[in-house]
Amino acid sequence: MRRYGSAVLLLLTGGAVLRISLFSDLYLRYVQAALRPYLVISGALLMLLGVVAAVRGMSHRDHEEAHEDHEEEEEAHSHGGPRIAWLLTLPALALLLFPPPALGSYSAGREQAQLAAQGVGTFPALPAAKVLDISVAQYSSRAIYDTGHSLKGRTVRMTGFATHGSNGTWYVTRLVVTCCAADATTSKVEIRGTEATDAPQTDTWVTVTGTWLPKGRLGTDGAWPPLLDATTVTQVKQPADPYEKR
Amino acid sequence: MRVQNERTVADGLRLAVRAMVYAVLGGAALIAIATVVSVLGPMLAIDLYTPPVAAWWTVFTAVAVQGVPFLLLGTVVSAAIGAFVPERVFTRLLPRNQALAVPIAGAAGVVLPGCECASVPVASSLMRRGVAPAAALAFLLSAPAINPVVLVATSIAFPGQPKMVLGRLVASLATAVVMGWLWARFGKEEWLRLPKRTRTTASSPAGMKAFVAGLQHDFLHAGGFLVLGAAAAATFNIAVPRSILDIFTGSSWLSLLLLALLAVVLCVCSEADAFVAASLSGFSPAAKLAFMVVGPMVDLKLIALQAGTFGRSFAFRFSSTTWLVAVTSSTLVGWWLL
Repeated sequence: MRRYGSAVLLLLTGGAVLRISLFSDLYLRYVQAALRPYLVISGALLMLLGVVAAVRGMSHRDHEEAHEDHEEEEEAHSHGGPRIAWLLTLPALALLLFPPPALGSYSAGREQAQLAAQGVGTFPALPAAKVLDISVAQYSSRAIYDTGHSLKGRTVRMTGFATHGSNGTWYVTRLVVTCCAADATTSKVEIRGTEATDAPQTDTWVTVTGTWLPKGRLGTDGAWPPLLDATTVTQVKQPADPYEKR
Repeated sequence: MRVQNERTVADGLRLAVRAMVYAVLGGAALIAIATVVSVLGPMLAIDLYTPPVAAWWTVFTAVAVQGVPFLLLGTVVSAAIGAFVPERVFTRLLPRNQALAVPIAGAAGVVLPGCECASVPVASSLMRRGVAPAAALAFLLSAPAINPVVLVATSIAFPGQPKMVLGRLVASLATAVVMGWLWARFGKEEWLRLPKRTRTTASSPAGMKAFVAGLQHDFLHAGGFLVLGAAAAATFNIAVPRSILDIFTGSSWLSLLLLALLAVVLCVCSEADAFVAASLSGFSPAAKLAFMVVGPMVDLKLIALQAGTFGRSFAFRFSSTTWLVAVTSSTLVGWWLL
């Protein structure tokens, strides 16, 4: 194992990276979409390095008897790889065998789900459409900060997972990831207009269509979380990219 | 001659056969393990796999996955420096006077686009190539904080507040330069343990073979420490309740220190930390600045990486001093600019 340690580790790591980036969309559970090409390149490069290490390990064996001592000392450095490197097997095997799920209601509940008080202002005009597809984060910031009231009179549609508040309220929630899942922040919209008994179970993915209900004074805590008067709530499959991009 | 030829052919054949045998055996073993684990695993895991544990695994793998391309970039650059760039290039580029070399190296941090994972191996190979440690350390600190990608991300995260971007640039550069000077004045060589490499420690470049060997070694070594740091980051990410942030928002001093500590434990990569800082409502701009200045310079993932590369006694001294300097400089810059 010592001779092929490096090779095994590099192939495992490279394989894990390729499995989530090249052969599936799983990488979207962990990092932002723009990282994909870099992940694919890294994965391929790691595989290549692994193959080189394996070939070298094999060819070295033939000459081993000749210079045993010298080999021994070099072995520890280049072929066996540093011992700490075996930690790489943890995330690699996790990704290969049981890719961890996307963050959901648990993480959303821990976040204080509040947008920075960046001051109110006007937003760029929304595209004209009968039903406007909008991200939860976008809806939320327009509802709280837009002095131009661009959401007024619009029918909007958004997708997120359900979370529940106290006394029967429920929210459509979505995590926003900038770089990787470690920096996830939450945005949520309280759904009105459906009876609490109709509220979907926590972590169920739903698409909600409805109209904006103004609440509180713009830019204050009273305006948060924003409200949506829902006309339809449909269950959907979890989207390939479980997070919203900023 | 013919005998030798036959021997190489036989050698090649033997190698090929052996490779095939290994591939078949190894593949069969892997498939067997994977089958057993994927059948038994879920049965055992269901009880243990509570939402916090699942979230831990997600954040843990996310930090590791996110780090891999940047770490690889860093190790490619560092292995290339080690294998292809002769020592005299750096001695010619950087002034001999350390006090002058430090700010130049700090400003040179602009050229390495990436987050902090990339800069540790690069700084280590710069030192091995004869760059004064003080200058290499200034580069190590400034590179992830002031490169264009990070500054653009900061301006997007704080729309209409160009002073935040300027403040970040000034405070980060100041911290890096001050740390370089401190090292030049007070640093001791024996705190710094540079990993010895069998072939590339020579002062002349050693070519392609050394490049590949250096790349494999550096990536695996730093990768192990990245995983260690990712585990620490995930643990804090899950264990520290965000509600403690609310307690401290009242006092601007405490909140600044708190965000500076939060930057250490959260290990948000430097390209994303501006967005996290912007989302921390209720904190003063100076506190947010401290979060963004400390984050790329001191965090658990980095401490683990530095401990692996430069030795533990260096990592703890260096990180704690950097933390103090970073907090001081962001306080001063925050008070002056924001």
